[in-house]
Amino acid sequence: MRTTEFQLPTRFGAGGLGGCYAPETLMQPLLDLEDAFRKALADRSFQAELKGELRHFVGRPTPLTSAPRLAARLGLQGLFLKREDLTHTGAHKINNALAQALLARRMGKTQIIAETGAGQHGVAAAAACARLGLKCTVYMGVTDMARQAPNVARMRLFGTEVVPVEAGQGTLKEAVNEALRAWAARCDKAHYILGSALGPHPFPTLVRTFQTVIGEEARAQILEQTGSLPDAVIACAGGGSNGLGLLVPFLGDTLHRFAVEAGGHGPALGEHAARLDGGRMGVLHGCKTLLLQDQHGHTAETASISAGLDYPALGPELAALALDEKIEVLRASDDQALEAATWLCQSEGILPALESSHALALLPELAKRGFSTALLGLSGRGDKDLSTYQSKLGI
Amino acid sequence: MNRLLPFIMAGDPSLGSLPGLLAEAKALGIEAMEIGLPHSDPIADGPVLQAAAHRAIQRGATPLRVLETLAGLTESPDLILFTYLNPLLQIGADRLVELLRQTPVNALLVVDLPDSEEPEFEALLRSAGYPMIPLLSPTTDQERAKGLLARRPDPGPDHPFAQRFAYVVARLGVTGTGGATDLAPVRERVAALRSFTDRPLAVGFGLSDPAAMAEVRAMGATPVIGSALVEAMAREENLGAFLQSRMG
Repeated sequence: MRTTEFQLPTRFGAGGLGGCYAPETLMQPLLDLEDAFRKALADRSFQAELKGELRHFVGRPTPLTSAPRLAARLGLQGLFLKREDLTHTGAHKINNALAQALLARRMGKTQIIAETGAGQHGVAAAAACARLGLKCTVYMGVTDMARQAPNVARMRLFGTEVVPVEAGQGTLKEAVNEALRAWAARCDKAHYILGSALGPHPFPTLVRTFQTVIGEEARAQILEQTGSLPDAVIACAGGGSNGLGLLVPFLGDTLHRFAVEAGGHGPALGEHAARLDGGRMGVLHGCKTLLLQDQHGHTAETASISAGLDYPALGPELAALALDEKIEVLRASDDQALEAATWLCQSEGILPALESSHALALLPELAKRGFSTALLGLSGRGDKDLSTYQSKLGI
Repeated sequence: MNRLLPFIMAGDPSLGSLPGLLAEAKALGIEAMEIGLPHSDPIADGPVLQAAAHRAIQRGATPLRVLETLAGLTESPDLILFTYLNPLLQIGADRLVELLRQTPVNALLVVDLPDSEEPEFEALLRSAGYPMIPLLSPTTDQERAKGLLARRPDPGPDHPFAQRFAYVVARLGVTGTGGATDLAPVRERVAALRSFTDRPLAVGFGLSDPAAMAEVRAMGATPVIGSALVEAMAREENLGAFLQSRMG
């Protein structure tokens, strides 16, 4: 018997963000997905399988690394890095991609569709599909394919077809458009693994649920290592899978939670991807949220040196938590992020992804505000960004 | 029965040509027409309509300018405004109703608005005389279809086709692409719908040639011609000749 109504809450916060603004063709597939998701969560064998794969394939739990030299350099008493960069495929994206691939197999789907911006979600989906024997197609904007070329090669090595998306700016927004279209055409055989906590219900809830392992581990680890919680927890936020994954498990705690958006290269519309200040409530890609848009309701162009943060909408749950003042949203510019990457390289011997560097860039601000200890989500490693670092930093 | 439901994208090839195209369609006996309000991210449309929308936006066809262009037109088929939710949300329901009052628009087809999501917005528009057209896709089973048609009801035979019909999406996927659409399953779906509704039906997505149009009419439904017409307009073909070739 098919479900005819969603069983889980579809909206977030006092403003009722989120929802399911999907074309009719996708409504039954979304209902079926929510049904499968709920049943999987309640199924011990699914949980055991996921846990086993996260441990033996992904490499969880990831370490929580103390970074005393960087802390001292930036005026903090203590700094701890949650090392998602050390997961298999090099970013937090694999947590969700693997879980959704397991869910897809359970649903009897043989094909996977995914979008990617920085390529980390695409690589994660490609790896998960190779491991589970699923056929994978990834949609990627042509601008992103050029700036994240190593990830394109990795996806192809895993047997995934990478489809270039030429429309618009050739970035994540256009890749999501094309992935949604592809899913509408093949929803009878294919599951769409959305990589960020956005899109129509149930995707935001599903992605966040599969990513909170980050914050759950980090919370237990910092209590074990230091005996107390930090003053602040901070993560970068594109759609919000990493931000929510780290921050949601700390929502019940008395501490400050920060998400960092891409400030790009200027404050004007089109020069950044900072949705909290720059966005207005709108609907894009199936959900209602803070959206960078022009006065006519057309999606605005965005800019960021980091492909993974270069998206015009903030995920609806993260936007709701920001509007309800449970998470503070800040922004870091391209230049700040580049400089922050060098701090971590020099002080701790860790090369961060450009996305994660946006969170690092706000650490001096935290010190200035009087926080003495911070836990930072290092969402991914910077190997994919080497060519950008080389050209921008002149090394 | 209405023989053809054409779709054109407002602002493509130009907003200036729109009144003339609508008058020409009306003179040919076209009763109702879908008019696309260009959107930056048309997730349910294929490459032809996406390109047309982007061209129209480039040429300044904003939602307000489209509605201004339609204001006061009397020589026009009944129009169904075909679009995505966000541009309408930004205008707001009250202002949208005021703007629509001046135009030949009779109904709306908002591709990414299920009937559950903006009940107040939708109710305000419906009570002002602008109903939302329900879409029925290959993934919509009979029980779901019954619910959708009940929640977006037929206002009755004293209302024009443009406000009464349900849109049967002929196949999975987006508008326009992927060669000929197999109409055998569509015939079965239309027959199944006929077992519980007598409201007018239009069939669209992937129909382009005169034979497909005739096949849909043989089902007792109205064929929609969209991407093929938009392509013909972009090639500066004559609207009248093109429509006549598809009207049977």
